[in-house]
Amino acid sequence: MSLSRVRLCLAAVARSSRRTPCIAASARHLSTLEAEKKPLETQEEWTNFQLKREEYQSLIDYFSAYGSTQTRNNTFQPHHSLHRPPAPSNVTLSALMASGAHFGHSQSLMNPNFMPYAYGVRAGITVIDLDHTLPLLRRAANVVRGVAAKGGTIVFVGTRPDLRPIVRKAAERVGERVYHVGEKWLPGTLTNKIVMFGAEAAKSEQVVPDLVILLNPIPNVHAIRECAIEHVPTIGIIDSNVDPRIVMYPIPANDENTRTAELIAGVLSIAGREGVALYGEERAKRAIRTERLQRNREQMPERR
Amino acid sequence: MNVAKRMVNAAVRSRSYATMYVPPASLENVVVRRQTPKRTPESPNFYTGRAAYFDQVNALELALQHTRSALQTLQLLPLPSFVRESIPPGHHVWLTKLGLTEMLNAPLTTSRYRRLLGLLNQLDNYRRIAEVAGVEGLASRVADVLEIFERENKEAFLARGKRKPVEFDEYGRSYTVGRRKESAARVWAIAVQKQTPDAPSASTEDQPLDPLPQLTPTITSAMGDSPLPPTEITSTNVLINNIPLSQFFPLPADRERVVRPLKIAGLVGAYNIFALVRGGGTTGQSGAISLGIAKALAAHVPDVEPLLRRAKLLRRDPRMAERKKTGRAKARKAYTWVKR
Repeated sequence: MSLSRVRLCLAAVARSSRRTPCIAASARHLSTLEAEKKPLETQEEWTNFQLKREEYQSLIDYFSAYGSTQTRNNTFQPHHSLHRPPAPSNVTLSALMASGAHFGHSQSLMNPNFMPYAYGVRAGITVIDLDHTLPLLRRAANVVRGVAAKGGTIVFVGTRPDLRPIVRKAAERVGERVYHVGEKWLPGTLTNKIVMFGAEAAKSEQVVPDLVILLNPIPNVHAIRECAIEHVPTIGIIDSNVDPRIVMYPIPANDENTRTAELIAGVLSIAGREGVALYGEERAKRAIRTERLQRNREQMPERR
Repeated sequence: MNVAKRMVNAAVRSRSYATMYVPPASLENVVVRRQTPKRTPESPNFYTGRAAYFDQVNALELALQHTRSALQTLQLLPLPSFVRESIPPGHHVWLTKLGLTEMLNAPLTTSRYRRLLGLLNQLDNYRRIAEVAGVEGLASRVADVLEIFERENKEAFLARGKRKPVEFDEYGRSYTVGRRKESAARVWAIAVQKQTPDAPSASTEDQPLDPLPQLTPTITSAMGDSPLPPTEITSTNVLINNIPLSQFFPLPADRERVVRPLKIAGLVGAYNIFALVRGGGTTGQSGAISLGIAKALAAHVPDVEPLLRRAKLLRRDPRMAERKKTGRAKARKAYTWVKR
């Protein structure tokens, strides 16, 4: 009840053109610098305060047209890494490098099973070979697309505070039959479903997901173990101190970096969205086919 | 050797394969019943195990996001410190942990409850900014969202510990109570109605004064400047237990105590007082009536309240008779000290 109400109430809030944040901040600062800094009492004073700021902003907007051709839309903004990820076909090695995916952990902590994915060592740190990462990321994206195209359920797991908005956004992007876990994965979610979700839910609903994507596998060993027990395929970001065999489709990359997680989760979520669209198309085709069959069946006895 | 093994295997039909290998031929007679796919869980937070709670948190975070962007568009965020001071503080009364648990149908721990409260307080901050700046649409919409989480008896909760406002009945009478020592007085005060000049007065008010006599023929009298018409002076009637003040309190000190609030407020002649007093002695009763009258005047004429407060007439004197103690003749009086 509350969810839909909140969305209805605030969906219609003014969403006018966004302004560049740093210039806006300086505009606000300038507009309030010279003022006497008296507390605002009447409605008029508040309105004047807003109008003054708006004046400065409009001045800046006016002269912006005469300056550089860079706009908010065609320049990189920090929020683009979360809100505008590249498609799986558009991921490049330089994008991975820019997000810092090639930084592994200390050389002494390197897992010997990670050797195939390590490029080398620099300054005591294992450098991850992105020539392996990129095709493995694309493979993982294909898996996600395939699972979604067959109507499977996907779970994004990222249990750090900085990963929380990432998994939420990724789940929102895929849209249907997708879930996210931003806080602790409770042990027994899959292996103790009756106690966790109740007998009715465990029987009537599909509790065991069809794919689990882990953005930080090390603190989520319980989740990995449960997925193995319940035969759930897993995709995970594997750092150099982790054995890549714990997940089914490892993506060797830096698991501590927020930008890397945003990039990888974004790519996988776009693949998931494509898969959901394919599933929708397939269902529509099937529906048309069954309708035609029914019509033919109805017509056949008439003819006879 | 192999032939023997095969014969043994053939004999023992109930052999289980370690790899669960099923020979293809045995599958020919199996009928595959297409199962209807099971329903998938609704909430995207299903696998957290606390779907209801996290759904709520996500909804509130979304509301915060939208409100923040709206306020930024309206140039109301971020606010400099001197503007933030002009926003009045918020009085929010959120549901208790039990109340929220009931509402969400999900068990809430203290940390989860505090997290929800943090989000609600932040949203309330934004609502107050919008309200003070006059953005009523946004403020009302955010208030609608917050209303779900507010306690039902919010006003009662906020008014707890505060004095109840004095109510007037249909005739404009106030009813107040005053206490002093062991006495309690119930005081009704009603404004004195001034008589209209046309209607002849049949009340016990004073007769209008005669016009002042002309003492000396001055310039003003020569100019024909007549004195002003006499002002109507009303008087306060005080009845205590249906007895007039002068009869009830023979001592002038007690009478003075009763009338003092009216004198300090400058409202002598403005209100008629009727009091019922019980308990204690003269001092206690007069003090109780005084407090009742002061409260009544503060209710009728709120401007007079600071005057009465400064004169300490609105304070219930807490001094009560001290009890007698064992080993002493009275509360403090000790028995004569004897050396042996």
